[in-house]
Amino acid sequence: MFGWNGKILRIDLTRGTSGVEDMPTYLMQEYVGGRGMCTRILFDEIDPRIDALSPENKLIFATGPLTGSGAPAASRFIASAKSPLSNCVSSPCCGGYFGANLKYSGYDLVIIEGRSPEPVYISIHNDRVEINPAGHLWGKVSSETEKMIRAEMKARYDLDDWALNTMGIANIGPAGENLVRFACIMSDGGRAAGRSGLGAVMGSKNLKAVTALGTGQVNIADVEGFRKAVMDFYKEGRDNGELYKRRRYGTWGLPGRANASKTQAAFNFKEGYFEAFVKYEDPEVIRDLIRVRDEACFSCPFGCSKRSRIKNDPEYPLTAKGPEHETMALVGSNCGLGDMLDICRANYLCNELGMDTITTGAMISCAMELFEEGHLPEKDIGYPLGFGNTNMFTLLKQIAHRQGIGDLMAQGGVIFGAKYGHPELFMGIKGMGIPAWHPQALDALGLQYATCNTGGAHTKSTMPFYEGRKDPAHFVEFTKKDQDYLATADSGVLCWIIYHGPLWGEKLSEWLTYVTGTAYTEEGLHRLGERIWNLERLFNMRAGITGKDDTLPPRILKEPRVKNRVVCLDKLLPEYYQMRGWDQDGVPTREKLQELELEKEGAGVI
Amino acid sequence: MKKIKIDHKACTGCKQCEIICSLAHTGAVNPWRSRIRVFVGEEFCLPVIAGPYTEASCNSKGTLMVEGVEVDQCVVCRASCPVKSVYKEPDTDIPLKCDFCGDPPNPQCVQWCAPNALTLVEDA
Repeated sequence: MFGWNGKILRIDLTRGTSGVEDMPTYLMQEYVGGRGMCTRILFDEIDPRIDALSPENKLIFATGPLTGSGAPAASRFIASAKSPLSNCVSSPCCGGYFGANLKYSGYDLVIIEGRSPEPVYISIHNDRVEINPAGHLWGKVSSETEKMIRAEMKARYDLDDWALNTMGIANIGPAGENLVRFACIMSDGGRAAGRSGLGAVMGSKNLKAVTALGTGQVNIADVEGFRKAVMDFYKEGRDNGELYKRRRYGTWGLPGRANASKTQAAFNFKEGYFEAFVKYEDPEVIRDLIRVRDEACFSCPFGCSKRSRIKNDPEYPLTAKGPEHETMALVGSNCGLGDMLDICRANYLCNELGMDTITTGAMISCAMELFEEGHLPEKDIGYPLGFGNTNMFTLLKQIAHRQGIGDLMAQGGVIFGAKYGHPELFMGIKGMGIPAWHPQALDALGLQYATCNTGGAHTKSTMPFYEGRKDPAHFVEFTKKDQDYLATADSGVLCWIIYHGPLWGEKLSEWLTYVTGTAYTEEGLHRLGERIWNLERLFNMRAGITGKDDTLPPRILKEPRVKNRVVCLDKLLPEYYQMRGWDQDGVPTREKLQELELEKEGAGVI
Repeated sequence: MKKIKIDHKACTGCKQCEIICSLAHTGAVNPWRSRIRVFVGEEFCLPVIAGPYTEASCNSKGTLMVEGVEVDQCVVCRASCPVKSVYKEPDTDIPLKCDFCGDPPNPQCVQWCAPNALTLVEDA
């Protein structure tokens, strides 16, 4: 088989057993891989109404046909389950070496079911799949967990240094263990499948980590064509100015850009400009300050991630990845934290504790505003917590360990805000914090965030700031198109940072055709993407999510904070529904589902 | 005479060299069958190209300082030897050696190295 392995590994943690199944052909043909396959499997195998932290939820680690093939920037993996944060189906994407190793082990995806009675971690080394005790790892931070597991694997498999450092590890920190609803799955020293709280799902299963080390191969259908296409792509990449910036600065160029255009989320989205970031408008400043080396995900020629270190601070001895723009915005400007090294500290803590920096930032900025407005008394926190106060480092630890006020905050912004009488001060969508760019910058952005199937996610659609995307007449059209397209890109699994939007969207069909030998077309992929998007929607509807949840916080809709305007969602949303073939309540119509061959799946909810 | 120059500071650890090496030599992608290996560290990555096979393991093992970090000499040694598992076919243990592929020489790892950690230079 080309591209795919055609195998599913299924692990039952309740019984402590594992087995291998053949991948049904329709899953490969109709859902490509990654996110598409995960959505289909979750739709078929779990009741969407279950509690996401119950043993009935299933956690899937999935690769795509391109993972491990050498297609540039296409070796990511997807983690997927029902989200405990948004209650939606969710499929965050993560880089590093884990995905490729899973593929080389001989599986396209791993489905993890049930709940282990004791803490365990799973090690996958080709056909050796073992469930190991993890009592000694419980409570350890992410980097320590990885270090200890590597040492154990070295002894067990007699690995040399090369193999040891090639291994991929997905793990959780204390936040995941303690079921913090925005805990993430960490991987390979600072990467994260971050957004929807899947770390808590792992924690609920008593699963501390999954490691993968594969020695198998990926077959490519048209080797000569593929090699030539990759070389052509390299040439194209060398001349691309946007890509050069990604390579040199990662996402460090964006805070300056966002700030200069007054669209950088700041002070709990009260503002779109943050004075302290002016000094970072030249990203070279950040690079000089903290960068250790450029780091690439497996099989990515661009290497946009930056390994960084806070020099001369013994409390933070290790290198960390990033902080990326989203982190700089949410735990930085949005919490009024202007010093880059402080942002690095918050990033370091979030990574080690295993929490999504975006929703965590949204939680803390919410607490800060509640505190400043006098709704959250100091005695409830134990210390002052105005914007920019570095007491937030203490709060981060309290959330992860569920101590003091952290216990309440760990349950998410909706519950926390409501407890202090102001749920509207939590800047989230479907419970998930809004990402870095202020939605009032461009209506299209607001529409994307509001309609996203997993909540306020930044990677499920394209940033609409590129040429050709800024025209209001096309906002709705492009939002739909990009959402559908990204659904297949996440199934490939392509990197969103490199391929998003007008850069080289058309490459997906090319790579898929060379690698799998099946002829894919742009139109065909858009249709597959639309099916995935609609299937996610149907899952969410069964879980109790309705069109009423396709909204933005009142601040974004009513208070003109940025560029003196609000997001006209009431105008855009009906247009969007219409273009999707949904009725005015956001329910897919029978005709649409017939067209997508999803009538059976829609039964009972439409 | 040409040779491959390694600039470890430019290496990002993407392993595209391992991928194309295995693809070019075996027809499928499998880093375990590659003749070049990238050792990934926290501070830097170190691409090492497989050299000749030696029948015996050496007895002069020591450490080397790279960028202020102590590195086992075994890691930077290019030889395929009885005690190492790298630079060997995983199934048969047949030693692997870089053949400077292409005629005229055009090593594919150099072609696929986007960050220019590997470059082809004239041997002075």
